Amino acid sequence: MTGPIRTRRGGGAFWAGQGRDGLVHRTDFIVALIVLAICAFFYIATTTFEEVSNMLAQNIPPEFFPRGVLTIIMVLALVLPFEHILLRRQGKNIDSDRSERVKRMPYLSAGLLFLSIVAMPYVGTLLSTIGICFALPLLWGERRWRLIVPFALIFPLVVAFVFDRILLVQYEPGLFGIAL
Amino acid sequence: MEPVIEGLSLVLEFDNIVLIFGGVVIGVLVGALPGLSSPMAIALLLPFTLTLEPVPAICMMAALYCAGTFGGSITAILINAPGAPPAVATAFDGYPMAKRGEAGRALGLATFSSVFGGVFSLIVFLFAAPSLAKVALSFRPPEYFALAVFALSMLASISGKSSLRNLISGAFGVLIGTIGIHLTTGVERFTFGVHELTEGINFIPVLIGLFAMGELLNQSQALNVAYERIRAGVVKLPSRADLKLVWPTILRSSFIGTFIGILPAEGSTVAAIMGYNEAKRWSKHKKDFGTGTPEGIAGPEAANNAATGGAMVPTLALGIPGSATTALILAALIIHGFRPGPYLIRETPEFVYAIFGAMLIANFMFLGIGLLGAKTFSMITLIPRAVLWPAVFVFSVVGAYAGSGAIFDVWVMFIAGVAGFIMLRHGFGLAPLVMGLILGKLVEESFSQSMIMYDNNFLGLFESPIVSVLFALTFISLCWPFMGPVVKLAVAKLRSRDEDE
Repeated sequence: MTGPIRTRRGGGAFWAGQGRDGLVHRTDFIVALIVLAICAFFYIATTTFEEVSNMLAQNIPPEFFPRGVLTIIMVLALVLPFEHILLRRQGKNIDSDRSERVKRMPYLSAGLLFLSIVAMPYVGTLLSTIGICFALPLLWGERRWRLIVPFALIFPLVVAFVFDRILLVQYEPGLFGIAL
Repeated sequence: MEPVIEGLSLVLEFDNIVLIFGGVVIGVLVGALPGLSSPMAIALLLPFTLTLEPVPAICMMAALYCAGTFGGSITAILINAPGAPPAVATAFDGYPMAKRGEAGRALGLATFSSVFGGVFSLIVFLFAAPSLAKVALSFRPPEYFALAVFALSMLASISGKSSLRNLISGAFGVLIGTIGIHLTTGVERFTFGVHELTEGINFIPVLIGLFAMGELLNQSQALNVAYERIRAGVVKLPSRADLKLVWPTILRSSFIGTFIGILPAEGSTVAAIMGYNEAKRWSKHKKDFGTGTPEGIAGPEAANNAATGGAMVPTLALGIPGSATTALILAALIIHGFRPGPYLIRETPEFVYAIFGAMLIANFMFLGIGLLGAKTFSMITLIPRAVLWPAVFVFSVVGAYAGSGAIFDVWVMFIAGVAGFIMLRHGFGLAPLVMGLILGKLVEESFSQSMIMYDNNFLGLFESPIVSVLFALTFISLCWPFMGPVVKLAVAKLRSRDEDE
């Protein structure tokens, strides 16, 4: 969110954010655009709903309510880039949780978790959870093998046992058919 | 009286007592550990309770809710890191008191105040819930629609940075609730050809994803945080001198907490902050606040726990959640086949009184835990994060999978987790989303029925005085976050002018 700050004819900055004063909050402007894009996507989706007769719909067609909600979200989203002005007057800083860039670790962790879910239908839930219990601590910098190995082996097995034998939830066995 | 006795006897069965104790222990643990929260614990516990009977399942969650609110105070006092948001205000005076070698006194005050606030609110719950339900029995779809809209509008003032973002979150929750088959017409909405979506989005994976997965990703950014713990020492009940000093504060905060809890969408965090502020306002030792004064601990602790009983009133009597955690309990009730609201109290009153009994027992259980085991429970912060959070992920995966036995739900959990992480970063609350998701169906159904009743004339809704009052309250609640500061400023100006004169 860096870059030149455009100034308005009156002198005040146009873009605000990350400690700068201005009319439009740059990050929230992008957030609002994303919210509007999501709403537009869903709004278009409502046009593909199957048409039903008024008698069956009792004058309230299936798209009526979702469209109403989407309209409310869109109207609220339009205010989003200017909200920082009000919040600043209230002494709140909307940027406090996002003042720093997202570190690498959440991306890597999400990637690892994503892979473990992708692998689940192939290797089964049990192996997948054992794998994540090995990999995630290692990724997060844990190097005490005496802690990681027993944890990664025992914990998923105990959870699997509880679910399989007590709660009668059958784990996904995967291609190798590994389950309790 | 008979349903009360029947409900209490249900709770007093040995198995149920064990489960309530389990709920209390889990609640204190998750409450004590920064990052873990009661909503997360309930979301993770939900799949485990699917095989249980409804009474023990809901009682366990209710016990967890009470204990989780209290648990946060242990780490707030001992390590200055509130384990749960409602304990934030407790740290203001709890930690300074512990730092000067009086950790046992601080924990004792927090425990006693919490139990008093909790029991006080449960007594209110005992009388208020059936009365409110009796009134609600006369509600027709228009009144329910107005009530649900009012509850959603309260999201604007829910704790958090931005009212606007809370409203957007809540509206997205309502939108997600529309996914699946439209009940009136049978038309599929937003399913995009995915047959798993025809029944709508399953609550459990969404809740687990938002509260557990989202927090996991958040915690991955704070791996090097270390806590400095203060020795707890012997935890004692408050002395006579302390009690004499704090009893007005405890009583006032119990009132405040219960009232705030009863308001839809307002939970323990708001109650605790108000309890602290009011304790300071009415205190004769205002200057001592922040340095470890007993009133600064008793105020927020009595209020945050009083909010738990208060929040159960609208949840059970109206089917409108009083807080984020009760929204999850509401979801659990729905999953267990109940229809929360006045009919629940009319048709199965013993069930409601069983929940009351469970919460009462939970309060006394954590009195024991607080006095005898606070030191032990504070040790949970010693568990390495690199082990704790993978364990949370395993529970999340298995919990999401258990409901339907489909990996699709694990994907829903993952997507909800990533969305939750992004939302939190940009100030969008998760609790409003959950409330919207849960109230969405009620809003749409009651709106459709109302429109049919009034022949699509929206103004017809205003024929009911209750609807008019609720819409007026909705208007005030929506405007307050924006008008409130202006009003406060005007009042302050008037005051200063009077003082000058």
